[in-house]
This record gives sequence, C-alpha cells and structure tokens, in this order.
Amino acid sequence: MSQQPEKDKNFVPARRSFLQGGLTAAGGAAVAAIGGGAALAAGTPDPAITELKDWNQYSGPGVDAAPYGVPSPFESDVVRRNVPWLTADPISSINFTPLHELDGIITPNGLCFERHHSGVAEVDPAEHRLMINGLVDKPLVFTMQDLMRFPRENRVYFLECAANSGMEWRGAQLNGCQFTHGMLHNVMYTGVRLRTLLEEAGVKPSGKWILAEGADASGMGRSIPIEKALDDCLVAFKMNGEALRPEQGYPVRLCVPGWEGNMWVKWLRRIEVGDKPWQLREETSKYTDLMPDGRARRFTWAMDVKSVITNPSPQAPVTHGRGHTIITGVAWSGHGKIKRVDVSIDGGRNWQHARIDGPSLSRSLHRFYYEFNWDGSPLYLQSRAIDEHGYVQPTKDALRAARGDNSIYHNNGIQTWYLKTNGEAENVEVS
Amino acid sequence: MSKFLKFTASIVLLGSAWATNANAQDADAGEKVFRKCAACHAVGEGAKNKVGPELNEIFGRVAGSHEDFKYSKAMIKAGEEGLVWDHDSLTEYLAKPRAFVKGTRMAFGGLKKDDEIANVIAYLATFSSSAEQAAAEPAPAPTGASGGDTAPVETAQAPAANAADAVIPEHGVYHLGREALPEEVAAWDIDVRPDGVGLPVGSGTVADGGVLYDDNCAVCHGVFGEGEGRWPVLSGGFGTLTADRPVKTIGSYWPFASTIFDYVHRAMPFGNARSLDADQTYAITAYLLYLNDIVTDEDFELSNETFSEISLPNEENFYPDDRLDEANFDTNVEPCMENCGDGPAEIVMRARILDVTPDGDDESGAGGID
Ligand code: HEC
Ligand code: HEC
Repeated sequence: MSQQPEKDKNFVPARRSFLQGGLTAAGGAAVAAIGGGAALAAGTPDPAITELKDWNQYSGPGVDAAPYGVPSPFESDVVRRNVPWLTADPISSINFTPLHELDGIITPNGLCFERHHSGVAEVDPAEHRLMINGLVDKPLVFTMQDLMRFPRENRVYFLECAANSGMEWRGAQLNGCQFTHGMLHNVMYTGVRLRTLLEEAGVKPSGKWILAEGADASGMGRSIPIEKALDDCLVAFKMNGEALRPEQGYPVRLCVPGWEGNMWVKWLRRIEVGDKPWQLREETSKYTDLMPDGRARRFTWAMDVKSVITNPSPQAPVTHGRGHTIITGVAWSGHGKIKRVDVSIDGGRNWQHARIDGPSLSRSLHRFYYEFNWDGSPLYLQSRAIDEHGYVQPTKDALRAARGDNSIYHNNGIQTWYLKTNGEAENVEVS
Repeated sequence: MSKFLKFTASIVLLGSAWATNANAQDADAGEKVFRKCAACHAVGEGAKNKVGPELNEIFGRVAGSHEDFKYSKAMIKAGEEGLVWDHDSLTEYLAKPRAFVKGTRMAFGGLKKDDEIANVIAYLATFSSSAEQAAAEPAPAPTGASGGDTAPVETAQAPAANAADAVIPEHGVYHLGREALPEEVAAWDIDVRPDGVGLPVGSGTVADGGVLYDDNCAVCHGVFGEGEGRWPVLSGGFGTLTADRPVKTIGSYWPFASTIFDYVHRAMPFGNARSLDADQTYAITAYLLYLNDIVTDEDFELSNETFSEISLPNEENFYPDDRLDEANFDTNVEPCMENCGDGPAEIVMRARILDVTPDGDDESGAGGID
C-alpha cells in the first residue's frame, strides 16, 4: 500500500472551484464562512439587487456573435481533466468527465471523457468507408451516405470504460469523483442497427463472431460474439442530436450497449464476420482480469450495476452549511434498468431509498436524489444501486475478496465520501 | 444529408484548390503534419523533451545541442561537424532522417511528400525567432506524386444528375452499398488469429528483427524490452502474476504469439503505424519472442510456415468470464437496510493522493488505467 510517498497537500482544483463557486454565488462575501452562499445577513441590502448591473443596462452580443454556442465563462471550470502520470503520453491516454458538475442523465458532447490509443483520428467523411467482409454472402462497402439511408434508431446508452475506478482497487486513491468515476458518459445516439447492416451482407451460418475495427492509427479491434452483434449493437453517427465529435469517433462509431467502452470502436471502418474470436491485443494483453491465483478471466464484457454520489464529493464541497441538503448521483447497469438506489449517510449502517428522477432506460444512466436535513456533523456518504435483475452493487471489500487487488477492470464497488463539518468531502474507505 | 451531397459535389474542385494552397508554405497545414511528430516531439509554450528534443528555436540550433536531451552519438557528431538546422537541412533530414544523419536515434521513416515537409517546416518556423527568412522562401511546387492521396478516389457517390438514373444493386434488403472488391478487402483485412488464419506469406529472423527493433522500437520500449520511462514494458515479468505488482508482458502474460504479429503490424511503431511490411513484422515478432526467451536461437526464422511451432507459456491460464458465479451476484439476498455491520463505521483508508493536480506533473501516482 505504501510504496509511494504519502502526499497530504490540499486538493488544488477543488480549492480553486470552491473559491470561484463561492465568489460567484455570494457576490464577493467571505468564502471561508460556511453559509456564505446564502443571501446576505438581514438588514444589509444585497448589492446584487440594489446595484445596477452591466447586463441590466447594456445590450449584449447579437445573434451573429456565436454561430456555435459555448458555455458561460463562469462555467470555465467545467472541463474534462487528465492525470498526466497515469500514462506515458497524452496521445495514448485518458481524460475524465466532470460528473460533479452535471445533472440529469445526458452528458454534453464536449464533456464526454476521451480514451484513445493513437490520438484523435481526423477522418474526412467523404473518404470514410465501412466494409463488411468475412463469412458473409457478399462483402459490402458503405459510404456514409449509404449508412444514413438505412432505418435509424435513437437510443440512450451509457459508455463506461472497463478501467473506470480501476485506480481504486488497492484502496482510496484519487480525490474526486471526476477521477474515480469519470470514465463514463451517457449519450443519445442516432444510428443504424448493426444487425440491419449484417443482414444486408448476409451472415453465413458459420459466422459466430465479428471483429469491429477502427480507422485510427491504433487500428483498434475487438471480437464480439454474433449474438450481441445481432441484438442491440448500433452503428451510430449522431450523438445528442449532432454529428459525433472527432474524439468520439466521427464520422461513425459502434455502440455495444452495457458492455465495456473499449468495444465501442470509434472511427469504425470494418466489420469482419468469423467463426472464432481474433484474440487481438485489446482482449488479451488488456481487458482481461487478473485473479489472485495468477490466472485471468477473458471476455469480461458486461459492466455491472454501479452508482456514485456526484454531489457532494471532493471537488464539490457543501458550501451552505447545515440545513436542507441535496445528495445526488448517478446509477447504471450494463444488464438493464436500475430498479432502486439506496443512500447511506453513516457508512452503510442504515440505508434510505433515494428518489430516481428523469427517464429510466435500459443501459442508461439514472439520476437519483436524496434530500435531508444536515445537522453539520461528519457523515460517510454512500450509494448502492440495484438493477432490474436484482443484482446489488457490492462493497469494495466483497469485490477484493472475490478478485484480489490486481484485476484493474470492472470495479463497481460502493464509493464512500467523508463529508466533514466544514463541508469538504474526501475519498475514504470505512469499516 | 445535404452535407454529404456538398462534399461529393466539391470533390472535383478539391484537387485543384489543394494545388494552389500548397504553393505557399502553410503553417496551419504544417500543424497537422506535426501530429506525425507529436508522439516524440513537443513545440510551443512550455514544450518539454519527450522521446525527442523539444523543437522551439530549432532554426539556427546546432544539431544535437539541446542541453537537457540525450542524443545519439551520431547526432552529436553531426553537430560537431557543423550541421545547423535551417530550411535546407531540415528538408533533407525530414525526408530521410537515417540517410541524412546515419545512426540517428530518431525512429521515424521520413515524410514522403514535399509539401508536407515544407509545411511542417513553416510550422516549426513559427516557434523560431530566427526563421523569418525561411518563412519567406518559396515552397517547392508539389510534384505529381505528392498530390497522390489528395485527389479523392471515390466517384461512386457522385449524385446522379437524374434521380431515376441511379443504379440499384441487387443484394440485401435495402440494396445499399456495393460489393467490396478483393483488393479492397486485402488492403484492410490484415488481422491474424491464433490458428494462423490471416498470416501473410513472409519470413524474418531474430537477428534481422534485432536491427529493426533497435531502430524503430527501442527508443520507447527499451533495448531489452524493459520500457523507457513509462512506455510499455514488452519483456520479462516471469512469475510475477501472483505478486503484489504483476508485470504483464508478452512472455509473462500474453496468451498468443499471433497477437504480437497482428498488433505490431497494425499499430506500431507508435505514431507511424502500418509502416512495417510482412517480412519486417515477422523479424520483429521473432525478436520479441527472443527477448522473452520463447525462442533462444538468433538464427531462428519466423514465417507463415513456422508460426504454428510457437506457443506462449501463459496460454492455458485464461478462462471465460465466470463473474456471475461470485457471491456478489446472488440475487436472492435482500440487501440490509438497518443496523448493518458491527458498530459505527470508521475510516480505514484515506485517498492516497489528495492532490491530483491535473496541471502539474506529479509522478507519485500508483496504479494505472492500462
Ligand atoms: C519515434 C519518435 C520520433 C518521431 C516520430 C519524430 N522524431 Fe524527431 N527526433 C527523435 C529523436 C529521438 C531525436 C534525437 C535524434 C538523435 O539523437 O539522433 C530527434 C531529433 C529531431 C531533430 C533534431 C533536433 C536537434 O536538437 O538536433 C529534429 C529537427 C526533429 N527530430 C524533427 C522531427 C519532425 C519535424 C518530426 C515529424 C515529421 C519528427 N522529428 C518525428 C524522435 C522522433
Ligand atoms: C514513440 C514511442 C513508441 C515506439 C517508437 C514504439 N512503441 Fe510500441 N507502444 C507505444 C505505446 C504508447 C503503446 C501503448 C499504446 C496504447 O495505449 O494502446 C505501445 C504498445 C506496444 C505493444 C503492446 C504492449 C502491451 O503490453 O500491450 C507492443 C507489443 C509494441 N508496442 C511493440 C512495438 C514495436 C515492435 C515497435 C517498433 C516497431 C514499437 N512498439 C515502437 C509506444 C511506442
């Protein structure tokens, strides 16, 4: 556990956003004082009301100022972040979705975390082709225009990297749910069923597997069993209504609902049908789960039932002091819908049902809320999701008992945030 | 939809528009070309040395003279013999690095197109204060060959002048797409399976592979596959899979040798993928097997014929996902709601790293994302 030097510096980005959040909310009132976010003390008129504001007096920019709109400058802290020491190079690396800044269930396109293995491929859609070959009646080539002439579907799915929370196997490590849980996004895709494309080419009876391959410089490839390929896989070209972002596979990616993100091949250019899996690097060297006996599980595709409290959390402290308080977070399962989310404020000793609000869709994020009256005492916040099959999100200890410390992938254990009396939250594990 | 019509309609014009563009050195276009360098070089504010030296103020720099960078002997010697980077020397170096500086450690095959070279140099010039002169020089006009892949090949999608004239293929349900030609399938279908399906005809020896590896791979993966810095380790780690910190390599972990061939052929060297031919890939694969003690004879020749002789030691230690058998997945247990656990909860572990400093370069982290 302690091969690396312990660090106890304060968490810098949280501090920074804490300050900024406080300043904007309280109009310059002292931030350190808990309760600074509320309206000013009775008797002192609030300058936010009594002073004439520029925006109340002068006209703002016109409709031609921002042909493609961007968020308010006050939201400039709401960005993906990476952790440089995780990988050798940012070209084959990862950044994280700022879950603690979001609400509802949809992740905005520009905030969806990125993981690529040779940087973002910049693909000209006019020169992009999708090929289907192998055990098919007729190998086919589609242009983007061809793809868009097939019947389309709109589906909301979460995508979670198999390594999400992977740094936490050995114990609490990164202080912020952006970093512990941010290899996750939830998007409405528009696309064509992979099944429709495969039927256009005609899968031979001997076809049991497909290989999905990307057009980027890593030539990303994964084997997928034909049952899944013919079930709910989607060949998507739109996300949240607009074209896929380059970093999400523009012009076309594969969606493999409920299964680990690495299989959702971006810049999809080829589907091969075969009778056996290919055993490529991303399903042998990587994305296999090492067990304590030195053996390894392979083809661990589904992402299990999981949830996390996004607020409060280390990057999102409570700044309003005691009183009515909202705990919120997200829950999801690669096996279907979320049936229930429980919240505990005492480290798992007693649980209450949280309220799920917003659409409840299969293999999509669910948003939950738990409202209570905080008395200002320290709390251990936890959430626990249960999916429609009755799978219950396990504790981290239960996972470790079954799988040891070195399996990297598929950590869906219950997260604990220690909420201190000053409103700060810290990533901990409790007995 | 309309976007794609526009795309196809403008295709004919693209070729000529491009030619005019390329007459002027284009730093913006050069920024794109620089992506081919970015795996190894940084340039611009705050640029640091990576696999290669940072390239700020490269114009006028004596070759091999960046103080904090460990160059090859060859590059240092070239500098001592008077090589200074300017428009001409860069042009020659970037076209054929190893021909221009024999023995350079820069594992890069060179830029094939004149306009790419001109543009990347124009881009680098914007980070060199002494380069105004270079920026003023005319770029060589693109040769016929260099225009090669700028003229899009596809014409099948040109919108029919009359919708009724569109040819409808016979296959499938929706009659969309067209049959893939064998040459097209061959160009993309390069995957290789453990049973040898997909292996191209070819061969290479351990000894040949060693030379290729030293030139193309060792900068990142280390001379013995031990991994430079945080770049991936490719060898060793035997017997560590049950250890506290397992080292998963080709020799200690990978189940199949076919994966080495497939991956190196499709994705390596990093930043210059698909640049190795079949013989070179056989040779490098043979060498990686040698670095992992799987073959021991330097004369061993790996080929599509001998491939089936090779198996990796860890192959039988992989088994299909059996997570659902874990107690965690028992759906008959109602989760406890009240007075669970023994006594009040207590902290047993705190975040190891409180300061994730996304903008710093804190090297103290443990664990990884793989
Ligand atoms: C695979 C890594 C790699 C790639 C890709 C690469 N370089 Fe290099 N480069 C190096 C290394 C290593 C050196 C030092 C060479 C030596 O010491 O022999 C170097 C040296 C150089 C130098 C000489 C610098 C000096 O201080 O003398 C220049 C200029 C240069 N590279 C430009 C480029 C450009 C431009 C590209 C892209 C078109 C590129 N390189 C691609 C690794 C790389
Ligand atoms: C510029 C640095 C660089 C160079 C040069 C390079 N590689 Fe790599 N290599 C990488 C990176 C980065 C990865 C991991 C890529 C990813 O994240 O998907 C990698 C991954 C690999 C892997 C898989 C490792 C694993 O454990 O899964 C193999 C095998 C490999 N490289 C072989 C080679 C060979 C052979 C060459 C030379 C032909 C080469 N590499 C050149 C950077 C490099």
